[in-house]
Amino acid sequence: MTVPIAAYLALSLGLLVLGLIGVMRRRNPLMLLLSVELMLNAGNVALIGFSRQWDDPSGQVFALVVMVVAAAEVVIGLGLTVAIFRNRTNLDVDELSAMKG
Amino acid sequence: MASTTHRCWGTGRCRVGEQVLFAVAAIGTLGFGVGVVFFKDAFRAAVSLIGTLLSVALLFIALLAPFAAAIQVIVYAGAIVVMFLFVIAYLGDRGALPGPDRLDRWQVFGWLGLIGLGMFGTVAILDSTAGPARPAPDTTDVGSPASIGDAFLSSHLLAFEVTSLVLLVAAVGAVVLAKGAVQGEGGR
Repeated sequence: MTVPIAAYLALSLGLLVLGLIGVMRRRNPLMLLLSVELMLNAGNVALIGFSRQWDDPSGQVFALVVMVVAAAEVVIGLGLTVAIFRNRTNLDVDELSAMKG
Repeated sequence: MASTTHRCWGTGRCRVGEQVLFAVAAIGTLGFGVGVVFFKDAFRAAVSLIGTLLSVALLFIALLAPFAAAIQVIVYAGAIVVMFLFVIAYLGDRGALPGPDRLDRWQVFGWLGLIGLGMFGTVAILDSTAGPARPAPDTTDVGSPASIGDAFLSSHLLAFEVTSLVLLVAAVGAVVLAKGAVQGEGGR
């Protein structure tokens, strides 16, 4: 055991916090989706790290499911972004206030 | 030669290998991740995401998960980022709304939550014990496609079926959204 599992978890935490900062700072919907990808990858690093730690393929199965969910999320998210922002001049999620009461 | 390299992993004969790989991949992951979050240009952020994803694939290799690393490169760097680049090219370079963020006054709660999460995670990692030593990998071989497929089709069959449903729903949703966009431009 050369690199402890805690190092992988710390890296995963750093990547998750980076993604959170991106979700909080960005107003461009495309950049929001990119930051969400960072957070999903942080989860994958932790899952595969645990899979290695306990020598169990379940963690890798879970990580592959997360990748499928990420692919589906990107398809729907980009489709929504194109459908909503095609006719607008600004690429900004703050513009989406049509449901505001 | 190949078997020698394989036996070398995890048995401590090349102890430095995993550390070097981890250091390179960690620097790449966090460095390109900072690029994703802080680049103004959407195109540069997307290309920076490719760097992060490839570094994460290196981490998977360091964790003896070569199948997950291959899927990471093919699905993430090969498909998802390319779709991002297509949409960025399609929507073009547009600015944000002038003025501050609409949720600006709530942002302090977000930052407090972020700092709390970081502190909690750090304490949890520092507080945790290392656990039992990882067994040598060449006895069980958890990262091979065979063992992953075995786990998928035996104990995680429900997750496998749900995966197919999720992909079907995503495909149908993309078609419906694209149809609406085409109709919005005057086509059928």
